[in-house]
Amino acid sequence: MGFSEKTTDVLLDIAEKVDGNRYLGAIKNAFTTWMPFIIVGSFAYIFKILICDTSIGLAALIPAAAKLLPGFMAVQYATMTFMAIPITFLVAMNLAKGDNIPTQAAGILGVCAYIGIAPQTVSVVIDTVTGSAVGISSAVTGAQGLFVGMFVAIVAEKMFAALMRINKIKIKMPTSVPPAISQSFNTLVPILITLYSLSVAGLVFQLITGSCLNEWMYAVVQAPLEALFQSPAGIIGIIIISQLFWFLGIHGGLVVMPVRDPLMASALAANIAAVAAGGVATQPVTRGFYTFFSVAGGAGMILSLIFAIFLVSKRDDYKMIAKLGLVPAICGVSEPVVFGLPLVLNPTFVIPFIFNSCIATAIALFATNIGFLACNIVDAPFGLPIPIAAFIMYGWRGVVVQAIVIAVTTAVWIPFVMVSNNLGKGETENEQIISQ
Amino acid sequence: MRILLACNAGLSTSLVVARMQDVAKAQGKDYKIWAVDQGEIQGELGNFDVLLLGPQVRHIMKRVKQLVGDQAPVDIIEASAYGLCNGEAVLKQAEKLFKQKK
Repeated sequence: MGFSEKTTDVLLDIAEKVDGNRYLGAIKNAFTTWMPFIIVGSFAYIFKILICDTSIGLAALIPAAAKLLPGFMAVQYATMTFMAIPITFLVAMNLAKGDNIPTQAAGILGVCAYIGIAPQTVSVVIDTVTGSAVGISSAVTGAQGLFVGMFVAIVAEKMFAALMRINKIKIKMPTSVPPAISQSFNTLVPILITLYSLSVAGLVFQLITGSCLNEWMYAVVQAPLEALFQSPAGIIGIIIISQLFWFLGIHGGLVVMPVRDPLMASALAANIAAVAAGGVATQPVTRGFYTFFSVAGGAGMILSLIFAIFLVSKRDDYKMIAKLGLVPAICGVSEPVVFGLPLVLNPTFVIPFIFNSCIATAIALFATNIGFLACNIVDAPFGLPIPIAAFIMYGWRGVVVQAIVIAVTTAVWIPFVMVSNNLGKGETENEQIISQ
Repeated sequence: MRILLACNAGLSTSLVVARMQDVAKAQGKDYKIWAVDQGEIQGELGNFDVLLLGPQVRHIMKRVKQLVGDQAPVDIIEASAYGLCNGEAVLKQAEKLFKQKK
């Protein structure tokens, strides 16, 4: 085996550490819960076209249907432009589960602490005169607030959990008081201390640095991460890491998810905000891009491998697994082939298994850069047959790019499948002996 | 017996679940077999007698074992049986695990 045991151990250890990390776990679970809302919110544009468009939508037949547009756009606002709030809630709530403290109170506390720190005025322009008014801006509630929101949620939950462990500050109730009531009093002092101290800390931060925590976190943490993630080097780096884990038989997507998912969500939100403002979407790497180009047909381009096997493999065992894995792969599920062939720790296929997703990403990025493919503003759920998903998100151009991606990566698999033909039956028998 | 399978999103394990259900039915066994996302294991505590993890999430084994404790045996599905969607082999693994626990 070319892959040294030591590297395997190190990577397994990293995967365990990431999985065991409570903060990353809380973020991961928050985005898992939130994902359907992102997809639903992005669908506002589909309704806009199908129902409100006066040339190709329902409004072409019934003009009044165009008036429904604000109803659809409102859902988009409620999800995409409001995502920092539920994410903040969910991160604090998920953390509280592990700390054995009241989860709902912790979630609400996270949101209150975040709003308590965020600027509560918005600048408004009326008849070219700029002023300010009371309100929470979309920079606070939307994707720009994601990282600062998650940060405040973690700090607030930590303080809350620590204070809940101090018995002295709990307000004692006689035993005849119903437990639900005494619990709400138990949380009173910890909530009081957490909210006021965090709000004041936020103010002090602003007085010292001259910028509020929201602006500072966005400029110093989130924006550079977003820029790195959207760059070819950043996204291809993430894919290589993910595929290295897959090569060991570990779900690479699950390992990189806590970093990847917030950045993909903010990219989609930025695209939607840009288009809503009459501009052009500029963030190529969204969840849809990743799912339906970078890992189309399963991470490592498994559907392409299946096509390569159908085309050139002489091994019956490979053909059997390719048939078994075909339908799952069309839906993006790679496991039957990854574990059945197997690709795990298989030196014959290591190079395409790791780098084919990079090639796919590079092709799709190139199609975006030359202006053939527009950055998406509609998302589609994982599990949808890949050409349908590409059509929903990108229209026919998406299907074309996806077809090119599959064709090129199939061609990359072919020589490796031919090499495996020559390895022949001897190895198969050995594998069977080992597994018995 | 109640057999829970878990992986990421519960999609690929659901393929195995379907095969296991067919085999159990053919053998006349009244088992409850289902798949969930690995994040939902906590919510299923107490609902299963055996928990099997997809091999692609074997790095979560330690944490899941701590979570489940003595309530039920936990194991990782044998990789080739998983890949080939061999319902019979995975069902056998679950039964063996269940018996060992008893």
